[in-house]
Amino acid sequence: MDANSIGQDGFYLVHRVGLLFASVLLVVAVLELVRRGYLKERYALLWLFASGACLLLGLFPQLIVYLSNTFGFQYLATVYVFSFLFLIAIVLAFSVVITQLSERSRTLAQELALLEQRLRLLEKERR
Amino acid sequence: MPRVVVLIPAYNERATIASVVHQIRDAAPGYDIAVINDGSRDDTAAIVAGLDGAVLLDLPCNLGIGGAMQTGYIYALRQGYDIAVQCDADGQHPVDQLERLVGRVLDGTADVVIGSRYVADTGYQPSFVRRLGKSLLSRWVDALIGGGVTDTTSGFRAMNSRAFSIFAHSYPEDYPEPEALVILHRHGLRVAEIPVRMLPRQGGESSIRPHSALYYMVKVALAIFIDLFRHYRPHTHPDAEQHEEQS
Repeated sequence: MDANSIGQDGFYLVHRVGLLFASVLLVVAVLELVRRGYLKERYALLWLFASGACLLLGLFPQLIVYLSNTFGFQYLATVYVFSFLFLIAIVLAFSVVITQLSERSRTLAQELALLEQRLRLLEKERR
Repeated sequence: MPRVVVLIPAYNERATIASVVHQIRDAAPGYDIAVINDGSRDDTAAIVAGLDGAVLLDLPCNLGIGGAMQTGYIYALRQGYDIAVQCDADGQHPVDQLERLVGRVLDGTADVVIGSRYVADTGYQPSFVRRLGKSLLSRWVDALIGGGVTDTTSGFRAMNSRAFSIFAHSYPEDYPEPEALVILHRHGLRVAEIPVRMLPRQGGESSIRPHSALYYMVKVALAIFIDLFRHYRPHTHPDAEQHEEQS
């Protein structure tokens, strides 16, 4: 069967295979990153959700037709739009995480400066 | 005798920091001095460590003026000071006016007293862009907090412990001065202003570069706008840090 042939359901086989392949690759990559400790489970869930969505669309391309009809997009546009929205959501979530981290590092730096001053005072008194 | 600490945030101020500390000690011998070194790349920290009569709070990295000032406010709170004064390290602030600022706080008519450049009788001339940005912002902030402050960006201010315990808990990160006034106002504190004659910088570089004037305005305006919708609970003790869930 030619990779560019259109299946009975009207989808390019290469798109379906590509989606399935991408989702499997993503799952493997995410799990491996978690295993090695490069990625926290908390954020891994986001990406597993993404690969789950890929898998679902690869297995049931009719979903894309349904979404396309609902929103009035071309079918490829549907894929783009939803991927884009997902990425936006992830980037926003990361901005929140960055904010939390910078708050924490600020507090830590401040406490370090205050402790260091007390330590210097103590050392001076002991001498 | 009320205990007063002068908080001086310093970033790469090797040229002026020693003389500023000396001037403050001469002008107000009864006041303690704490210099917050905001991760300077020069030897500001070493200079301050070698000075008599100045405490060094040495931040391990550069937090920006907001984070540095907050370190000072936390210090003032934990050391149990009655009054904290914020003062620049570059010599622009007239230290002979320190006692005047503190006096206004002590007489109980205001929780925070700002030394203002724009009230008549000052010799300060900022650049046009900065003047425009500051005056628009100042007018807006002034309207928000109910009037009475013409120089909302002045970093020469004295405050009582009510004010700095709020700041120890939450203080804006960059270009903090106007936003800090709105926070005070939202907590129901009184802000007053007295004219002072600012001096030209004695050395070092301004932390506000000209091209960042626009960012400065937009950022502060946004922060203040959002702050209006923030819900302020009755003030809790700053040392009671909130316990977040651990991930």
